[in-house]
Amino acid sequence: MTEKLLHKISRSYLIFALLILIVSAPLFYFLSEKLYIEDADEALILRKNEFLQFSLSQLKETDIPVWNKFNRDIKIKEATQLKNDTIFYNYYYDSLAQENEPYRELNLPITIEGKPYTYSARINLVETEDLMKSVALLFFVIISLLLIGLYIITKRLSLNLWKPFYETLQQIEQFEIDKNNQPKLKETRIEEFNRLNQSIEKLIDRNTSIYHSQREFIENAAHELQTPLAVFQAKIDTLIQSAEFSEEQYKMLSSLNDSVSRLNRLNKNLLLLSKMENDSYNEKQTINLNEAIEKHFDFFAEQAKSKNLTIKTELKETVAVKSNPVLAEILISNLFLNAIRHNVSDGQVLVTLSNHSLTFSNTGQPQPLVADKLFNRFSKSNPSEQGNGLGLAIIKKIADLNNWKISYSFSNNLHSFLVTF
Amino acid sequence: MKLLLIEDEKELAESIISCLTGNGFVCEWASNSKLAIDKISIYEYDCILLDLMLPDGNGFDILKELKRQNKTEGVIIISAKETLETRIEGFNLGADDYLTKPFHLSELLVRIQALIRRKNFKGNNLVAYNEIEIDILSKTVKVKGKKIDLTKKEIDLLLYLIGNENKVLSKSAIAEHLSGDMADMLDNHDFVYAHIKNLKNKLKDAGCSDYIKTVYGLGYKWQND
Repeated sequence: MTEKLLHKISRSYLIFALLILIVSAPLFYFLSEKLYIEDADEALILRKNEFLQFSLSQLKETDIPVWNKFNRDIKIKEATQLKNDTIFYNYYYDSLAQENEPYRELNLPITIEGKPYTYSARINLVETEDLMKSVALLFFVIISLLLIGLYIITKRLSLNLWKPFYETLQQIEQFEIDKNNQPKLKETRIEEFNRLNQSIEKLIDRNTSIYHSQREFIENAAHELQTPLAVFQAKIDTLIQSAEFSEEQYKMLSSLNDSVSRLNRLNKNLLLLSKMENDSYNEKQTINLNEAIEKHFDFFAEQAKSKNLTIKTELKETVAVKSNPVLAEILISNLFLNAIRHNVSDGQVLVTLSNHSLTFSNTGQPQPLVADKLFNRFSKSNPSEQGNGLGLAIIKKIADLNNWKISYSFSNNLHSFLVTF
Repeated sequence: MKLLLIEDEKELAESIISCLTGNGFVCEWASNSKLAIDKISIYEYDCILLDLMLPDGNGFDILKELKRQNKTEGVIIISAKETLETRIEGFNLGADDYLTKPFHLSELLVRIQALIRRKNFKGNNLVAYNEIEIDILSKTVKVKGKKIDLTKKEIDLLLYLIGNENKVLSKSAIAEHLSGDMADMLDNHDFVYAHIKNLKNKLKDAGCSDYIKTVYGLGYKWQND
């Protein structure tokens, strides 16, 4: 599962912050409680020392009720078994608050006029409950502030810091090597992004130039081949006329002839492909597909005769599409020829034209073709077959140029090529 | 008949010249556009075969020069370029026909013949061969004065065969001729046999001699024995 970079970062921040807070909250609670109690104990001891130093020597037995009457927190009580100072927790009922309040209490045995008494001083403590509440509240506020802060910061980071990154990403996503839309990556103020952009630019430049030189190579090669092919053809023609040959020799000449025309076809198809890639056929017109199919129908009917094929057409009239007229004709011719070439004797070809699709179905080999490489250049389902393996690549390219879809299917022993526009 | 071949590829030029000379044409050769323009200015030709890509210039410039000099020679462009644009530009500049390389010499020959027929056209456009008479404009064929019923394709085939009299024609050359613009699409030449058979039968039925000979292993030949 993938997630956005920013989500990942903010989530890590969040988890860290929460962990720290969860661990530190009890720590904070115990620490503050300890400090508070230490402070209370110190105050009790200070009061005790004050009492021992200043009050005890002047205190008389008769003063005790008066003392107790006016001192709420330091009382002089009956002697107990106490031998030393003791500090402990105790609860007293507070009549004002009407509840038990926690106290820290210091008891100490004293002697007044020779008689033993107990000195008892106490300090009211904050209730644990209240302390926990305040700590929780404090931490809630801190977490909220932290989260809001993190959210705002990451949001701002996404808008500013990562902006060049997303721009670059978008540019690369739109980049297609066979189209002339070289991405323009902006200079940023972040070193890493600059490095990224530079590397991408270098990579794209390199690939584009390789792609171009390869395309150029195919085009040049095809062009350069035309002259020797023309010479080859002319020489064969001259040779054929030069003497009487035996049947065997004529057969050889005939096969030479066929090879030249096959080479020539291959060459022309390669040229056509590279021209299409060079956008040489970008001029589009409205074409009536019905007419385009009927234009060369006789030619294909003638080609179908040798296999004794039945050609059925179901053409809806006036199906107008936008395309380059030359390419539309090539598309139809290639589909037609494909349906005839890969057919069996006494088979059939069915051409269906509707408002949004054109289908060529034909009988042929009983198994479906392997669909995934069907439209690749030079991919032949049967290497011994006629044809140069470029027909379907050309069909695909033309469909692509017109934003049409081409698909292959096999059912009822019919191989179908469907063009949707 | 005098022809000028403007073509820089020596090997190809030699083959074309030898083919045309064998068919009674006087053929001159210019291997670059300067030489071609010199020749055009001095001599008159019945037909000019023009390659578009020349070492010292574009074939279109020669067409322009012809126009400038008010020359009316028929021009057949023979070029490896085959885009619609170059064709249209060629025709606009006054070319009469356009043949894409590579081509069969037999095809070139019938194109030249057709062009010269059109240029010398005086009221009627007839091709006669012994008892056969073909009217190209009305697309009718007569054998011994009697009209016979041939399809357009068969007339085309007949003209092609007669135009290449005594030459061995391969099935592929015939197929490409009959297919015209669609020739590039061909990968099967079997249909030629059917056309030849039909034509042969129709001519025979009309009492015509059997001129169409089968060259086993390769194709056919029009021959008067």
